[in-house]
Amino acid sequence: MIVKVLLTLWMTAMIVAAFLYAGAAAGFPGQTSRILFFHVPQAWVATLSFLLSMVASCMYLARRRVRVDYVALSAAELGLLFCILATATGSIFAKATWGSFWNWDPRQTSIVILLMIYGAYFALRSAVPDPEKRRVFAAVYSILAFVTVPFLVFVVPRITASLHPEDTMNPANPGMDPKTLKVFLGSLFAYTGLFVWMLRLKIRLLRLEGRQEPEFIITEKLRQEGEKR
Amino acid sequence: MRRGRWITRTGQSTYLNEALAIWLRDLRGEFRTRYAVNAILMFAVTTLIAVSFSIGSFRIAEAEKPFLYSVLLWIILVFSALSGLSRSFVKEEEAGTMDVLKLSARPQAVFLGKLFFNLTLLGALEIIIVPSFILMMNYKIKHPGLFTAMIITGGFGLGAGTSIVAAMIAQASARGALFSVLSFPLLLPLMITAIKGCERAADGMNTAGWPEVRIAVAYTVIMIIMSLFLFPLIWEE
Repeated sequence: MIVKVLLTLWMTAMIVAAFLYAGAAAGFPGQTSRILFFHVPQAWVATLSFLLSMVASCMYLARRRVRVDYVALSAAELGLLFCILATATGSIFAKATWGSFWNWDPRQTSIVILLMIYGAYFALRSAVPDPEKRRVFAAVYSILAFVTVPFLVFVVPRITASLHPEDTMNPANPGMDPKTLKVFLGSLFAYTGLFVWMLRLKIRLLRLEGRQEPEFIITEKLRQEGEKR
Repeated sequence: MRRGRWITRTGQSTYLNEALAIWLRDLRGEFRTRYAVNAILMFAVTTLIAVSFSIGSFRIAEAEKPFLYSVLLWIILVFSALSGLSRSFVKEEEAGTMDVLKLSARPQAVFLGKLFFNLTLLGALEIIIVPSFILMMNYKIKHPGLFTAMIITGGFGLGAGTSIVAAMIAQASARGALFSVLSFPLLLPLMITAIKGCERAADGMNTAGWPEVRIAVAYTVIMIIMSLFLFPLIWEE
């Protein structure tokens, strides 16, 4: 509860600061550079959850704990959500600066493939009836998909040049305005916090749903009977 | 005699022996039913005819040909492969021979055998489709060596990327659609590379180093190694 309140306050402060405290970066038409405070953290969280889902999948294959699979599934679901958000905000920015919502910039290509991977992951999960098998297959697929990502990072940029702003908005670049940097890092923190909070909610939800499954009820009954004896 | 030599478990039963035994068994089964070959080839030929009929060899400007033709060629190859490659595992599930196969060979050997079989199918597909495409579309290739290498390594990549997915979807419901849905994101990097490589071979510019062929080889090796790691997990469930 406390976390929720703090997160709300922090998020509100960041949104206000993004529009009132930080200035618009030079070299971008109008106020468009303010997308930095929303789009980049979303893309960061999408990447983070993809990574988390893959790590949890590896751990599931090694240990076969259902709880770890809950982490992988929740991270994938939230990853899809943030991926869609990043795609939508990115394409609004593309319209404002490049003139069209969609033009197959390498960044747009790789995010579409990421969306397709998430889509395939959920399609696979819904198509395997046996729960144990479903978890193993999903984990295997998630690892396989992760292996192909380096190819996308190195291959697709070779094909066409990207228009995606990198240097002007890179926090590592000393040219970034200190106020902008402050708000950007704060926003990154807020989004990561939001992600962790949502992830924990989702895992709890899955755990409660898992108790309804016949598998769990049977093992639980056996355990109680064993205690009686 | 011949059969006994391959399948014997008393002598030295290596991974390669078992894989070859499975490959030969699948080939024999395929010669009897010709299911996968028919599915893949008919799909490919139909698509090729549709493309060739609607575009013809003069509709596209000469300067655009290297790129557009290589896109069309790879779309035909990838989607015909996706229409039939899952067969190698699905048929085991349908015939109920999955359990016997699990008992009679080690998982990695099963995977390799199936991979060899899929590669054989892809080889047959490419031998028939690529020359017909070049003839029907009047596709001029300035650098045939690079083109051939790209087609071959691209074919290996296709087989390597789809075989483990076939093993998964054989045990799922809604197999046909799921195979394409799952394979396509994994194949996309390869497909983009192969299209670029064939375009380069056709227009004959900047062919030094063959970067696309090397990327395709790296993709193939990585996918095969990952599959060998992961396949036992989905096979022994």
